[in-house]
Amino acid sequence: MISMRNVSKTYGADKPALYDVNVEIEQGEFVFLVGHSGSGKSTFIRLMQRELLPSEGTIVVAGQDLTKMKNWKVPYLRRNIGCVFQDFKLLPNKTTYENVAFALEVIGRSKHVIRTQVPEVLRLVGLEEKINSYPDELSGGEQQRVSIARAFVNRPPLLLADEPTGNLDPATSLGIMSLFSRINKTGTTVLVATHDREMVDSMRKRVIALENGRVIRDQDRGVYGYGD
Amino acid sequence: MAINIGYFMSESIQSFRRNWVMSLGAVITIYLSLLLVGASLASSMIVGQVVRSVEEKVSIRVFLKDGAAPADVDAMNKALVADARVKDVTYTSKEKALEEFKLTMADSPEIIDQLEVNPLPASLDVDLEKPQDVTAVVEMIKANPNFIKVADRPDDPEKSLKYGQQIVNQLFAFTRVLRAVGVVFIVMLAVISLIFINNTIRIAIYARRKEIGIMRLVGASNWFIRTPFLLEGTLQSLLGAFLALLTLGSIQWFVMPKVKEIISFMPVSLSVGSSVQISLILVLSGVIIGLAGSAVALRRYLKV
Ligand SMILES: Nc1ncnc2c1ncn2[C@@H]1O[C@H](COP(=O)(O)OP(=O)(O)OP(=O)(O)O)[C@@H](O)[C@H]1O
Ligand SMILES: [Mg+2]
Repeated sequence: MISMRNVSKTYGADKPALYDVNVEIEQGEFVFLVGHSGSGKSTFIRLMQRELLPSEGTIVVAGQDLTKMKNWKVPYLRRNIGCVFQDFKLLPNKTTYENVAFALEVIGRSKHVIRTQVPEVLRLVGLEEKINSYPDELSGGEQQRVSIARAFVNRPPLLLADEPTGNLDPATSLGIMSLFSRINKTGTTVLVATHDREMVDSMRKRVIALENGRVIRDQDRGVYGYGD
Repeated sequence: MAINIGYFMSESIQSFRRNWVMSLGAVITIYLSLLLVGASLASSMIVGQVVRSVEEKVSIRVFLKDGAAPADVDAMNKALVADARVKDVTYTSKEKALEEFKLTMADSPEIIDQLEVNPLPASLDVDLEKPQDVTAVVEMIKANPNFIKVADRPDDPEKSLKYGQQIVNQLFAFTRVLRAVGVVFIVMLAVISLIFINNTIRIAIYARRKEIGIMRLVGASNWFIRTPFLLEGTLQSLLGAFLALLTLGSIQWFVMPKVKEIISFMPVSLSVGSSVQISLILVLSGVIIGLAGSAVALRRYLKV
């Protein structure tokens, strides 16, 4: 699903944000990406989306070499990658339903597809009661569920999340994580960047740990680690 | 695709409403530019028609004295016909000249009835290939030795010739100035329109930056993201073009008939063909300005 070979990323002339990273992630895996602030987690995620190009090395996602990909093909890559962020990125003037439907509208899905898939994914994330609410009428956890619904409504084979629980309390975070777990069980590869220690420790999934841009640990059924 | 068109239109209209001051500014500058383009096109077409109608009248008349020797007249005629710049020479006898005169004076036949003798001279009427050659051919005639022999007024040869070079020259100079001024104004206004559209689209992009971010995130194609903005710019300038056409149309319908009454001797009306041509040029320029303005803004402010 994901294959990074000798990937380095340097912004400007600074020290590299990622250095000589080698990672293989199989279809259907659930992976945590952990590390201190500034260790390069977001850079890793943005390389997957081809938001950024690596300074060195090759990245293959879903069988496509991102370093050789033509710009006009990038949107089609992104249709296969759902993304979730700490700040939800919901449109405030659209309801829950409209926010999720928007993701399908703008890739040209038919009204019929939208009418069937949106309620289905909203049921999956447990928001069928809130389809007509606006984001400011929802709690943080609910907003994050809307954004997960939007990321997953097109059934992408890969779901990326950058600090999805960064703004949420522990109980709500647990609910979000179990939602990712449920999505993972449908066969979707899930990659979550986080520094939520309890979460990582309680889930016992594969953990890739970054420090100063290097992979310092890659462990199945791992824990958050770091002695601090 | 049907959904898309509806979506793009509603996006554009929403954006216009959200940002109506700027959008109106863009529409008004485009309106003014295209109005000027249309007006100068129309006036240069009309002036062109006037010039052509005057040019048609540019011929040289050589007035002959009564009783000029037919051999001399014939020699003059031959010299004219032999000149490459001359298209055609016709002889108008004294009788024919009087008849023509009667036609122009049909309103007051009593003047002609009072005439006891025919005061009009016979003439050689010279048609030219190109009206610009008038002066040169006049010089050629004056230099011909037969001219003095047949001229109506040998004492003042200039009075034996009639030609209309001056009007044509003035009209040509006038159209040249008109065109230059028109072009300068049009270029200026086109640039201002482009700046305005560029600005409205920049603001529209800024207002929708969150949506654009999400569209990029979920994989909307670049054209899908760009189209509403291109459409918005194009709709603005089409609206401007439409208003300009409306204004020019009302001038054509309500003002020009009055003008025609006042200067009935000149062909100041536009043919249907010319009007259609001008309308097409305006609509097309509108589309081009709109697309160009928004395309430039997209290049500068929308990274996809
Ligand atoms: N656009 C950028 N330009 C220059 N430097 C950047 C840019 N983005 C990130 N960096 C630098 O790259 C390094 C890694 O940043 P990154 O955002 O990947 O870290 P992170 O692990 O996501 O941190 P956090 O947990 O705080 O989100 C940092 O030193 C950061 O300052
Ligand atoms: Mg980060």
